[in-house]
Amino acid sequence: MKETQRQKQKSQTRKQIIEAALKQYAKTGLIKTPTIEIAKSAKVSHGTIFAHFPTQDVLLTEVIEEFGFRVNKRLHELVEGKSTVEEILKAHLEGLTEYEDFYIRLVSESRLLPPQAQDTVIMIQSAISHHLSRAAEIEMSEGKLKKLPLHMVFNGWIGLIHYYLTNHDLFSPGESVLKRYGQELTAYYMALLQVRI
Amino acid sequence: MKTCIACGMPMEKTSDFAAGDVNKDYCVYCARPDGTMQSYDEKLDSMTEFIVRTQGLDKKAANEAAKSMMARLPAWKV
Ligand SMILES: [Zn+2]
Repeated sequence: MKETQRQKQKSQTRKQIIEAALKQYAKTGLIKTPTIEIAKSAKVSHGTIFAHFPTQDVLLTEVIEEFGFRVNKRLHELVEGKSTVEEILKAHLEGLTEYEDFYIRLVSESRLLPPQAQDTVIMIQSAISHHLSRAAEIEMSEGKLKKLPLHMVFNGWIGLIHYYLTNHDLFSPGESVLKRYGQELTAYYMALLQVRI
Repeated sequence: MKTCIACGMPMEKTSDFAAGDVNKDYCVYCARPDGTMQSYDEKLDSMTEFIVRTQGLDKKAANEAAKSMMARLPAWKV
């Protein structure tokens, strides 16, 4: 079915709003950012936002979902062909570094967000837990890594990186916390998992 | 890039697709051994089990999350 000019214009505006919201939320927070700021940065009227997204929650949920799809796609590309736990942890951080500001907002505010938005966090985690568990199972069976419960291997890692991310202002004011500590975090975590030879 | 209609996984390599068939819209993890797509209940069970096993969530909470994620995927959208 061919889109009419009007439909094209409509979906163009919608995209514009989502792009602006992704930037604005990353900058000023998910809960706190008023829709008027998003309208300004998307260069549309405030009313236009609500013509596309009936409520602020709908906009927020859709933008978070869009973010989830993008991060997942990127993570999937990055872990492609990687087979060791160490490679996957590195790829995970590389992917998150590209989306660091928004991701920090998402994990810091996730308990306050609409339930659907919280499920998006689980969706993002699932992309990583899938690859990490597969790699860990193999390396554990080969005796390279300690035999630990898979969910603890995943949660230990997430706990560590989220602690740094949510306290980024303390660990690396004004710069990327993952760029500054990524290598140290990966090396430390691998040292915990590896069987000492 | 294609995305699995049943679980949302991006599918790139041939081996990501059900039965290695790039014409399929669902992934290898959403296929039954005979290559057909899992039913809603089968997928909900396997997704719940996956979240519990790899992320340690409470079974009921994992089930709710899986339901909500599936509700947004083309295969299960009402
Ligand atoms: Zn699938």
